[in-house]
Amino acid sequence: MVTLSLNFGSLALELFFLLSGIFIFMIDRFIKSKSYAFWLSFWVILGSMVFILFIPFGDFTRAFRIDFFSSSIKFLLLIGFFFVLLLSDTHLNNFPGLNFGEFYGLLFFSLFGIFVVLSSQDFLTLFIGLELMSIPLYFLIATQYVYRKESLEGALKYFIAGALSGGLYILFLGIVYYATGTIYFEEVSKRLAQGLLKKELLLGAVFFISALSIKLSLVPFHMWAPDAYEASPLPITAFLSGLIKFAVMAVLIKVLILAYSPLKIEIGKILIPISLLTILIGSLLAIRQDNLVRLLAYSSIAHVGYAVLGLVSGDFAGYGFSLFYMFVYLFTTIGSFGIMIYLVRANRGFLEIPNLAGICQNLPFISLLLLIFLFSLAGVPPTAGFMAKFYIFLMLVKSQYIGVAILALLVSVIGAYPYIRVIKVIYMDKGHLGYYKPTYPIFLAFSLIVATFIVILLGIYPRPMLDFIQRTLFLYISLQFLQL
Amino acid sequence: MADFGLLSAILWFPLLGIAAIIITNRSRPDTIKVIALITALIDFILSILLLYRFDFTNANFQFVEKIPWLDVINSFYFLGVDGISVLFVPLSTLVTLLCILISWYSIEEKVKEFYLALLFTNIAMVGVFLSLDLLLFYVFWEALLIPMYLIIGIWGGPRRIYSTIKFFLYTFFGSIFMLAAIIYLFLQFGTFDYTLLIGKTFTPQVEKLLFLGFLLAFAVKVPMWPFHTWLPDAHTEAPTAGSVILAGILIKLGGYGMVRFLLPLFPQATLFFAKLILVLSVIAIIYAGLACLWQDDLKRLIAYSSVSHMGFVTLGIFSLNPIGINGAILQMINHGIVTGALFMCVGVIYDRTHSRAINYYGGLATTFPLYAALFMIFTLASIGLPGTNGFVGEFLILQGAFMKDKAMVIFAATGVIIGAAYMLWLYQRVFFEKPVSGVFNLPPLRWNELLSLIPMVLLIFLIGLYPNPFLDFMKTSVSKILANIP
Repeated sequence: MVTLSLNFGSLALELFFLLSGIFIFMIDRFIKSKSYAFWLSFWVILGSMVFILFIPFGDFTRAFRIDFFSSSIKFLLLIGFFFVLLLSDTHLNNFPGLNFGEFYGLLFFSLFGIFVVLSSQDFLTLFIGLELMSIPLYFLIATQYVYRKESLEGALKYFIAGALSGGLYILFLGIVYYATGTIYFEEVSKRLAQGLLKKELLLGAVFFISALSIKLSLVPFHMWAPDAYEASPLPITAFLSGLIKFAVMAVLIKVLILAYSPLKIEIGKILIPISLLTILIGSLLAIRQDNLVRLLAYSSIAHVGYAVLGLVSGDFAGYGFSLFYMFVYLFTTIGSFGIMIYLVRANRGFLEIPNLAGICQNLPFISLLLLIFLFSLAGVPPTAGFMAKFYIFLMLVKSQYIGVAILALLVSVIGAYPYIRVIKVIYMDKGHLGYYKPTYPIFLAFSLIVATFIVILLGIYPRPMLDFIQRTLFLYISLQFLQL
Repeated sequence: MADFGLLSAILWFPLLGIAAIIITNRSRPDTIKVIALITALIDFILSILLLYRFDFTNANFQFVEKIPWLDVINSFYFLGVDGISVLFVPLSTLVTLLCILISWYSIEEKVKEFYLALLFTNIAMVGVFLSLDLLLFYVFWEALLIPMYLIIGIWGGPRRIYSTIKFFLYTFFGSIFMLAAIIYLFLQFGTFDYTLLIGKTFTPQVEKLLFLGFLLAFAVKVPMWPFHTWLPDAHTEAPTAGSVILAGILIKLGGYGMVRFLLPLFPQATLFFAKLILVLSVIAIIYAGLACLWQDDLKRLIAYSSVSHMGFVTLGIFSLNPIGINGAILQMINHGIVTGALFMCVGVIYDRTHSRAINYYGGLATTFPLYAALFMIFTLASIGLPGTNGFVGEFLILQGAFMKDKAMVIFAATGVIIGAAYMLWLYQRVFFEKPVSGVFNLPPLRWNELLSLIPMVLLIFLIGLYPNPFLDFMKTSVSKILANIP
């Protein structure tokens, strides 16, 4: 007999976000000065970062669970979200046409969705979480309409991709339910362990991976990414490429551990061609880009490809390296988008790479930071990007996927070219002097400094962070096996 | 007691200078230069102290520092020097010091970034020579690309961008395979520790693959014959300091890596591939030598002569006997000094006339005599005239190679003659004949140029006339490395 536990304490944080979002929506029409929304979100997130440490572990029905894994990932995401907020403040002050309370309200709804995704214990809650996470983003991308009419196109593309993702997911859900009669992660895993239904569930896994591929922008579902990235306000792009992908990667890992662990080797084999193609196409298409945001969109495609390579062996250490990769990428994203927000403050044309020619003369500090982030994206030591890639390759060779590792290494040489090209433009091309030189708002400066610090620290001494992620995973896995 | 931490001090001391430069206002370039100079000078003095305290009767690693770095994968912050690396440390710091001096007046824009990049280069170069942990080695090895990419690309000549991207991608491509080999070694033996990896055995197939992985990285850096095409471009377009670092240290990393890693770690594969590499070396010597005769650009000619000289170095290393390897290591030092000095000389004249074309010049000996005398010394050292350091190195290498394979030496020795031909012909075209209009009224040598060229002259004669102390440093370590090779 299964008893349902209704542990409202474990829902507290999610409810908190939902209420904050609703509150902002309700009072926004009555307040002229829009800075209240930012400060409210600021304190809510700071409070949640403390609060999450005290949330009791437990279930809310069988569908929703707070445990060590979800709390740790949520904590990392809250840190990332905090920086997205700081970037949003700077960007919205720059573009007052975007500056409405709804911007923050929608961000909260999306965060609410992410948290549901991370805590879900069955495939239906996961689906609801994914939709909750994505729907506010369709609006957020479209808010840029005030400044760029083409924005609607990007939002619509992302919406259609999201709808396709939903459709594929529903198909997967149907197959799983048809095959096993259950949608709970652990039940599916038990059915699999009995050795039946492998074919049906593997077919389901293909649909599942396709559905998540759209969120992660893996090839062949990557087409939306450049357009949606270019269409969005910059902080939303950072949110899309840093936080959403980190969360989806975390939940993919969770599903692989909880529901699909008997099939993880087979799923790994499905992922090999996907990730290699993703890296290759992302790197190749990045070469010709002249827009910084589109360049980073393709680079984001390629980077998720590397992170997925950590999953192919089915080794739990590899899962940890994937998460580490995504964490590094999250902070590289925050840093590079922070820089773009600064550049846009100086001149909107700075998002076109040729216009960046010779800006190191005028903006030496920001150029140096961009240099660090670009070398991190290219994976050159002593930056975090190198360490992240290094561990992924280590994992691949360890699991005897030497051919895959060598292919990925070769493509990473191609992948370095787009970044060193941008560095070339900034540092080596002749530019015109005398740009308007904006000040550094305190929040932007803070985010940039923290992101730079993390990117260099993780490149020189990644041990504590890696330990944290690996221990979280191992603790989680060992707990699961104890329950089984 | 006093020895502990000396290596870390040499390695990280430039960070102080970097910090000081960062906080200096960019409107005060002279302060920045002085800070950089003092930093490099102190670092050089520290590395001389290292030479002084080094015990050359001991073949083991000295001044060892070992601190856990990445526990998860058993990687250490592991530094140490032996006879093979000890001479390269003062060479690196000396090259940085002289680069700062030689660029004193020639770098006028982005001064702050330039000296930051130079000091960062210093850290990476010294780090490569000191690290005994393969991962740490790789990190420094790759980190060196960043400042070099910037130095060539920002302060270089007209085609600098093409050259610097070619340089970056070429060397990045080469090192990727070394990374794969390092990862494989780690997974096989669970350690990145160089001292523990010596003496491990592999199946012949695996050993050959690993050897090739490392070799590709080193061959691109050296550069060996089919992989050399980045070097003339990079050398030609780099600013003077960049060329000096490239010639003085960067391409030595490849040769150093061969002695340090290929020979002791993969002795069987070394024997298997030795013949092939000897042939490639001889091709490099002759092909690059002949290519020199075609060049009409001063820097390009010296760059090709580097390829030729590095061919001698690989020839010496893969003759696999103590004489050849001692000669190769000494020749790497020599080549760093001589070619570095030649690039400085080209920089001196380029700053005055803004031309690198050989046929632009003529009769410099009458209008610029002191410079002509210095250039003559470096030319003769480059040819390997007895009494200069080039002779000692080349002689040892040829003697070592003769013991290994006589036919090779016959071909390689023709390289010496070709070398004399292109260098003397260059000297004749530039310094003799009738003075052309562009070379009159050149300003005399500045203090910084004299200060950076004179140490090179002294070293050339010191090593040339009395090489024993230098050879003493490496003898015991070289015989230890050769002990593994049957």
